[in-house]
Amino acid sequence: MKTIFAVIAALFLASLPAAAFEKDFIEAQTAYDEGRYSDASMLYADMVSNGVDNVALQYNLANALFKGGDLPEAIWHYRKAYYAAPRDPDIGANMHFALNAAGAIEPAPSLIQRSLATLSQNEWIVVAVGAYAAMALLLILALLIPAAKRNLSKLSLLPVALILLSAAGWWQWKQLEIHPEWVVVNSGATTLYGPVTGSTAHFKVPLGALVRQKSVDPKGWIEIEYDGTRGWLERKYIKRVSP
Amino acid sequence: MNLAGIKSKSTARTLRNSIFLVLCSIFASALASLAADVKMSIEPQLISLLDRAVLKIEFLDTKGKAADIPEIEGLKIQYQGQSSQTQIVNFKTSSKVVHTYLVTPAKVGDFTIGPVRCQYNGGEKVLTAKLRVIKKADDPEAQQISEMMFSRISSERTAPYVHEPFQLMVDVYVRDGIQIDGNFSLRGGMPESGLEGELDWNVSRGRREEREGTIFNVFRLSTTVKTLTAGTFEFQPEVQVNVIVPRQKRRSYGFDDPFFGDFFGRQESRPYVLECNTLEMEVLGVPMEGRPDSFTGGVGEFNFQVEVGPTAVKAGEPVTVKMRIAGQGNITQIIPPDLETNHDLKLYDARSAPSKNPGEVRFEQVVIPTSDTVKEIPAISFSYFNTKTSDFRTITKGPFPISVEAIPEQVAQVIATIPSAVMQETEILGRDIVYLKPLPKKWTLADATPWHRSRLFFMLLPIPALLLIIVAFATGRKNRLANNVALARRQQAPKAARRSVQQAEKAMHKKNDEAFYEALWNALADYFGNRLNLPPGDVNLQTVLKRVPKEAEAIEKLFTTIEQRRYGIEAGDGSKHEMKALLKQFNSTLHKCERMKL
Repeated sequence: MKTIFAVIAALFLASLPAAAFEKDFIEAQTAYDEGRYSDASMLYADMVSNGVDNVALQYNLANALFKGGDLPEAIWHYRKAYYAAPRDPDIGANMHFALNAAGAIEPAPSLIQRSLATLSQNEWIVVAVGAYAAMALLLILALLIPAAKRNLSKLSLLPVALILLSAAGWWQWKQLEIHPEWVVVNSGATTLYGPVTGSTAHFKVPLGALVRQKSVDPKGWIEIEYDGTRGWLERKYIKRVSP
Repeated sequence: MNLAGIKSKSTARTLRNSIFLVLCSIFASALASLAADVKMSIEPQLISLLDRAVLKIEFLDTKGKAADIPEIEGLKIQYQGQSSQTQIVNFKTSSKVVHTYLVTPAKVGDFTIGPVRCQYNGGEKVLTAKLRVIKKADDPEAQQISEMMFSRISSERTAPYVHEPFQLMVDVYVRDGIQIDGNFSLRGGMPESGLEGELDWNVSRGRREEREGTIFNVFRLSTTVKTLTAGTFEFQPEVQVNVIVPRQKRRSYGFDDPFFGDFFGRQESRPYVLECNTLEMEVLGVPMEGRPDSFTGGVGEFNFQVEVGPTAVKAGEPVTVKMRIAGQGNITQIIPPDLETNHDLKLYDARSAPSKNPGEVRFEQVVIPTSDTVKEIPAISFSYFNTKTSDFRTITKGPFPISVEAIPEQVAQVIATIPSAVMQETEILGRDIVYLKPLPKKWTLADATPWHRSRLFFMLLPIPALLLIIVAFATGRKNRLANNVALARRQQAPKAARRSVQQAEKAMHKKNDEAFYEALWNALADYFGNRLNLPPGDVNLQTVLKRVPKEAEAIEKLFTTIEQRRYGIEAGDGSKHEMKALLKQFNSTLHKCERMKL
């Protein structure tokens, strides 16, 4: 009896923060609907700072920031949401919209990169684990049913191919840790030819632009790539999105 | 003679032998060091310009390191490597270490190579070699390589400005009659820093030029250089050409046709690095004095054009300012000119627009008039540094009149923030962002461990692989037993014997000695029949002993005892104690056989 009571109490306590999150979420939505975008973004941001990491939350926060006129932060949160749900059409459309509004050029991945980005890193892991289990099952069946051995062995090549594909997909997302993405959050970002103050100016990067890190200088300079061109930018202008 | 006397005599003999051996070895090593020698030779000793000679330093019956050859003006001496050789003739061993150098002449004359100090095991020797270089038979005028082939660097600009592109020309002069393979490579001599990008050299087939009564074929290598900094830059490129010359050690094939000559390797190409003058260029910085605020880094000579559209908009709607800069200079390094702003004009950062023409750069900037008081887009100035006139030039375009219509109470929509560069896409995108997402069913915490990093996942992960291994092992075993009757019977043997032993135990408890011995015999026959893969009728003492010789005594005793009791040849006391002892012996023997490798 005591154990049952303890379990019920634990479940009740666990549901408390969820209820609080739901309340904040609905309140933020109301503020958004009433055109109080700064209130909405503040409520969403509070939830994020309290440790909630939902796609819907990141997306709604980005929407509120966009409506409130903070394009760079909106793009930053859209991109965060995109990492978790890359096939979500709403996130893709709004990010595209926001980048265009900022006058920034959208990253142009290759066909292979686009295909591999169809699934998120977590989804690729699920595919890999599923394929691994399926491969083991098919091979076990092939051993146990000698009559179907040939066909089952052939069929087990499919999960092997899936495992290889998942590895490629996972590696593509891993690249974001090696060459992270940054968003330009301060205006006046002009890249230089070298990581030295006073170096020749190379090109301007618009506010809100998504740039890719290529290398890092220990003195706080980051070599970025934007629209196929590389240049050095001071860290103060950009905010890292990638994990 | 007493024992002590014999002992002292023997010790003295041993001592004498030892001294003799030591002396012999000292003498042998002294002879060896006397035989060691070092020689220096050059082959051939007479060559013409464009020929080469081989210098060899030979260490005979000793070892020695490559010697430093002193530099000689007019000769280039390159170390090629070492080889060693050992010979045994009439039980006499001789060895040789040879260091080889390639000698390439740069001018005509008599040369003495050396003195070269060669150190070896046993001493030091100072050596010299003589080489005579004569004029080339078909070019009796040339005294030096540099008279036959050389390069000259020049530029059309004397003092260019930083970022200003300028041409560098390297003229390669090759005396008429000298054959080269047409490949030129620049091995260095260019500034290591301060130049923009990699230099791309173009080669143009030259002209013929007469210099001091001699005809030269001239090849021009040209490139465009841009410097990143001001200062003095020194250019002295080392151009390498490959000269086609006949092989020195030619083999005669009986063909005089040049085709066969080349085909059979009678020609070779020899690389030569040509002498070149030094070109010092003073690159000037863009002056600070008189630099206008609208200077955006352009150095060269440019045109500037601006287009504004649409010119009739509602307040909050975007207007695009398109700027085009074209001309000669550092076009890719120009950043967009600034547009003046005011309270009623919202500006977005200018972005580069694609251009097919490499000599121009295009920028587009979105401007949003926020009230109907805006009557014009302000004038835009583009300033650059003109390298021809050495001053700053400013081109101003505008102001551009526009008409802005007021909108009553309508709040500026999101479309108002879209730059015109993407206006064409707005129809596809819609006029606003997609609405909020609904309340999520599940909340995820940022610090929660993902399932694929949990301990449980890592524990469960090997299970499919383990299952696969177990099934593979089991099916493999099953197949092995199915295909190998002997193995299957061998594994069945203890089990088959155990059944009969159990029956024997029951009989023992019932004191039925007849059934006991019968069951024990069956156990014996079952075990060895299966263990040795014998047909049921073939299990007898002789067959078993032949296959299991190690436990012969115990097995023979078992067989004999059981058979005697079965057939009543030698009846026992029929007591339980006797049966128990026999059963124990039976079990022990079978246990030993079971551990035996047959």
